[in-house]
Amino acid sequence: MKQKNLFLSILYTILPALSVVCLFILWYSVSNQRPDLIPTPADTWERFLLTFEKPIMRLSFFEHILASLRRVITALMFSWVFGILIGTVIGWTKTGRALVGSVFNMLRPIPPLAWIPLITIWFGIGEAPKVLIVIIGSIVPVIVNTQSGMERVEQLYLDVGRVFHANNRQLLFEIALPSALTTIMAGIKTSTSTGWMVVLAAEMLGAKSGVGFLITRGMDSGDTALVLVAMIAIGVVGALLAVLISLIERMVCPWLRKK
Amino acid sequence: MKEQKDVKVEVKHLTKRFGDLLVLDDISFNIKKGEFVCVVGPTGCGKTTFLNLLTKLIEPTEGELLIDGEPADPKKHNLAFVFQEPSAYPWLTVEENLAFGLKIKKLPKDEIKRRVEHMLKLLGMTEYRNAYPSELSVSSEQRVIIGRAFAMNPDLLLMDEPYGQMDIKLRYYLEDEVIRLWRETGSTVVFITHNIEEAVYLAERVLILDNKPAKIKEEIHVDLPRPRDFTDPKFIDIRTHITDQIKWW
Repeated sequence: MKQKNLFLSILYTILPALSVVCLFILWYSVSNQRPDLIPTPADTWERFLLTFEKPIMRLSFFEHILASLRRVITALMFSWVFGILIGTVIGWTKTGRALVGSVFNMLRPIPPLAWIPLITIWFGIGEAPKVLIVIIGSIVPVIVNTQSGMERVEQLYLDVGRVFHANNRQLLFEIALPSALTTIMAGIKTSTSTGWMVVLAAEMLGAKSGVGFLITRGMDSGDTALVLVAMIAIGVVGALLAVLISLIERMVCPWLRKK
Repeated sequence: MKEQKDVKVEVKHLTKRFGDLLVLDDISFNIKKGEFVCVVGPTGCGKTTFLNLLTKLIEPTEGELLIDGEPADPKKHNLAFVFQEPSAYPWLTVEENLAFGLKIKKLPKDEIKRRVEHMLKLLGMTEYRNAYPSELSVSSEQRVIIGRAFAMNPDLLLMDEPYGQMDIKLRYYLEDEVIRLWRETGSTVVFITHNIEEAVYLAERVLILDNKPAKIKEEIHVDLPRPRDFTDPKFIDIRTHITDQIKWW
């Protein structure tokens, strides 16, 4: 029995690594047989090194990543602040729900990319419209989660506050918001990954910097190795962002950490 | 000894109707300062309505509630309530939970600190001050909630079957705990339960509520010395008497 458990625990440590290795072997063998379909790992690595010697649009590889990150982070800051604000208004006040809720529910199903033509007409193709598109995409999960968190505050928690004769402001800030915080944080997680996806899409349509731009550039010049380098960077940065948000969550909601 | 205590709470002709439904019918009684009163009655006899009236969560149809001779006013008087369900705030530590009501009342910071320290000591939870409720056992969590209520130095502390969901061993333990806190703080307590043994064990006085509409059927003084013994013949006499009075089965 004990031996079996030990065997299983070893198996579960090995399996994830094994599947990554399998993917790599698949990539290696396919690219060696048909280099026209996908560049080999060695070619990709060389292309990655080349980006430092020969900058693209006068920006190094990391500067492109930074350009994308700057857009996402600007947009996320905005989305978090206003998303929590709007979500609270919809979820906490009846008037807010009646007034803002219906408009929000109408606009919500429109994908952020559908806004690109209008936003390009209104604001051109500078930095602001790209940030705006990311905001449109990333604010939705924050609003939705804040709203549902605020609507589902346990009645008992509020009653305890009322018995202590808490005023409305105290009910909101001392009880409702903290109790909704875990749900809000889940929305912030989703908004981060959505934001990172949307910024790449926004950059693929007319930008001079960013990881999304690198992909378009690679596609236009038939440089699949560059496309692959950018794809891997997107995956790595996205994963790092997720880790970062988890760390922030632990700081903001310490009672979850100690469970 | 008991006769010398001043009247703290006066309930006069308390009546509550929801539409045509008469839930509470002309309830009158007094509670002396520092007294421990248990209210027993069949389930669904309007106990919750009764409590909500006392906390002023709802307004009575007729009658009034006086504290120290003045109409009860949550702004002026300190009312505290322990709910049936565990109601510690999961996002606050033990210490912050104990301070919660005091913060809501906007007491001075050093006064809050003093009272919280005192309560932590009384509960014997000083070393768990930074723990979150999820790290505590159910009984410890309930003790924090009771401590939070006692820390208010309430004029009137209402407890709504706070041990309804506990097993027997925890009940005994927490019953002794509430008696200890009550004696230490000198608070006035109204404790609602449907467990007759618990009522006789805890109360100085037991009020028996009658079924729909609720009114007071009988008042019983329990003069037994503490700690009380469940097997004491006098204890059993009182318990049997109350049981006979209720008979909701």
